[in-house]
Amino acid sequence: MKELLLSLALFLHRSTKYKSAKQFAKDLLFDANNAYKRYFDLTIIFLVVSSVLILIYEVKNPVPAWLDNYDIYVVSFIFAIEYLLRLWVHNDLSEMMIKEYNDSKFLNREFSLYSVLKVGVKEKLKYMLTPSAIVDLLAILPAYRPLRILRVFILFRVFKLLRYTKSINQFVDVLVNKKFELLTLLFLLLFIVLTSGIAIYILEADKNSNIHTLFDGIYWAIVTISTVGYGDISPVTDVGRAISILIIVSGIAMISFVTSVIVSAFSERLNELKEYRIIEQMNKSKSFMIICGYGQMTKMFFRQQRKPIDHYVIMDTDITRVEAAKKDGYVAIHEDASSHKTLSKFDAEYCDMTMLCLTSSDVENIYITLNAKSISRKIKVIARVNDPETIDKFKYAGADEVLLPNLVANTMIYTAIRQPTMYKAIHAILTGKSIANIDEVHVHASHAMVGKQIEDLDFSSNKLLFIGIQRRGKFIFNPPKTEIIETYDVLLVMGRKISLEYFKSQHEGDIHVKK
Amino acid sequence: MSKNKIAIFGYGNHGKFIAKGLALDGFDITIVESNKVFYKDAKSNGFENVFFADVTKDSELKKMNLESFAQLVCVMDDEHLNVFLTLSLRSLFQDSYILSISDSLNVTKKLQMAGANKVIDLYEVSANKIYNLLDRPIATKLLEEFVHNKEGITFKEMLIPSNSFLDGKMEEDVDFSSYGVLLVGMIDEELGHAFVFVTAGISHKLDSGDTIVCLGEKDKLDAFEALIAKKEI
Repeated sequence: MKELLLSLALFLHRSTKYKSAKQFAKDLLFDANNAYKRYFDLTIIFLVVSSVLILIYEVKNPVPAWLDNYDIYVVSFIFAIEYLLRLWVHNDLSEMMIKEYNDSKFLNREFSLYSVLKVGVKEKLKYMLTPSAIVDLLAILPAYRPLRILRVFILFRVFKLLRYTKSINQFVDVLVNKKFELLTLLFLLLFIVLTSGIAIYILEADKNSNIHTLFDGIYWAIVTISTVGYGDISPVTDVGRAISILIIVSGIAMISFVTSVIVSAFSERLNELKEYRIIEQMNKSKSFMIICGYGQMTKMFFRQQRKPIDHYVIMDTDITRVEAAKKDGYVAIHEDASSHKTLSKFDAEYCDMTMLCLTSSDVENIYITLNAKSISRKIKVIARVNDPETIDKFKYAGADEVLLPNLVANTMIYTAIRQPTMYKAIHAILTGKSIANIDEVHVHASHAMVGKQIEDLDFSSNKLLFIGIQRRGKFIFNPPKTEIIETYDVLLVMGRKISLEYFKSQHEGDIHVKK
Repeated sequence: MSKNKIAIFGYGNHGKFIAKGLALDGFDITIVESNKVFYKDAKSNGFENVFFADVTKDSELKKMNLESFAQLVCVMDDEHLNVFLTLSLRSLFQDSYILSISDSLNVTKKLQMAGANKVIDLYEVSANKIYNLLDRPIATKLLEEFVHNKEGITFKEMLIPSNSFLDGKMEEDVDFSSYGVLLVGMIDEELGHAFVFVTAGISHKLDSGDTIVCLGEKDKLDAFEALIAKKEI
């Protein structure tokens, strides 16, 4: 038996197919970036909604057999598979067995199958007892014919949807944070309900025609304490009424207390929840930008934009500046960009992430740069440097671009004095004034321009000035007219925005499509 | 008034850099400082015309004969002082060209109200650069090189002399690129000294007295400048 299981585990351990299948199941169930997860989720949601609709329809109308079969067998079958998959990927028994086997071989002790299985199965059982696993299991139950009475369990399928709504999870999260307060209140409530329920039963069971059992008493206590007061059971004796007054008063107090606890829990975490939403949205986009610090530089940066930046967030450790940014209409969160925890919430692997370190402190900027680069080398960092002596440190920390505001401004002043005419031209080019926009045209592998001569591109009729080609890191200025465009060339062209866009649209596209 | 005479107020973060660059380019630099340390700095860096003066006193500014300067550059480290100085200079010398540095939108506005002809915002130019780096990285870097290069590919402004072969020609009839230079734009005196980019899409007649701005390699530009002086080629 032991040998058999062990060889099976070894076989699975070696099988790449098994591993990739398991990984696929895992991704399908948990990885938000998996291409198929969306469809899987939508299928489950459809199954849940359809089976609940059938349940509602069934109340007053006869249901055709095929629909009934679909509801009972197809839906349950798929849910059963999902349940088993979740159970399967929860942990890896075969891997645990192999590890234990190797360990015991190494330590020269006897391999004990029992202890491994005990740990593994315990883990699986622990999973089966989690609320979401129980809901999953209950959602399958209606498939069992003798349990048709449990038809109402189909409603548990609705709970499956909870897995797909983040707001519920956040709600639960908020409540969990106030566990202590809420539990205290709950015990107090239980105490009052039980004592007054018992009291009314003892005092009125023989005088009140509506109270027959203890359950009636407790039911009355709950209806009264919650201020619902159906009125189907009401006290008939003076003592009973006195108890009523007591629970009504304590009920009002308790309900307002519970409400205030929940409201305060939410308002405490409201900002956090909002920030969570912002981060979620950014991670869904293909590329985004994090701007650290909301000072002069950042304000100016936003004034420069000629087209709105799609996905960005401003981060500042100073709450007053965050508020200021929000007031100015920008997306801002109160977070510390130099903390590993903050930045690791962003998905640097799947998205193009750019960090602008624009705080006024070099120390802070360097720290943020290092932090970003330690999370992923892929993150592009543009850092502001105030002290020229720290430039080397920034380069060492891995900043992709560094920028000294003083130096940039000084060169501008210097150019303005040295060549006043030119300054106007250069300023217009740098600020992208529409008549003097310099832009780059990237030639892709299947671009229609590849293989053409510069002469054929006819820049002048588009009112464009062709300046040169950036090819393999080298710039060819004013190349001869017979020069042939190669793949991955970048053409540097100056002209009005509309001319540039028209030129790009004319020459973009696939070689093979082009006549 | 000599075109080369520049007065720089302030020898701090900005003044130091600007003065050094301009001095190398052969400008006649005069430095005015009200800070003892910076004043000594300027002296020890070899500048001859360095004045130690309280720039808040009009009488001291008057003494310096500032009318004779082509540009007055206000780059004091203290923003308040800079605005005050700009205002004083404007009230004293109505016709002077005043250039000031600012470090925020509000200061820019104040400097403009104080009468500065040109205000350069410290953060605006940097912020612009970041934006450009993100928007068109290669173009921005190349452009920077063109602007800062003194050798290699750079911009140059040239005056079309009388009797030049360019005089009277339409801009599109001249093939600049065959001379190894590209015409970027010109200052058209007919249009009232306005800078016009070639890409604006308006045909221009080149006249003597117009200034053209060309992009090209340094030696090609120099050769071209010599060439346009000729009547025939």
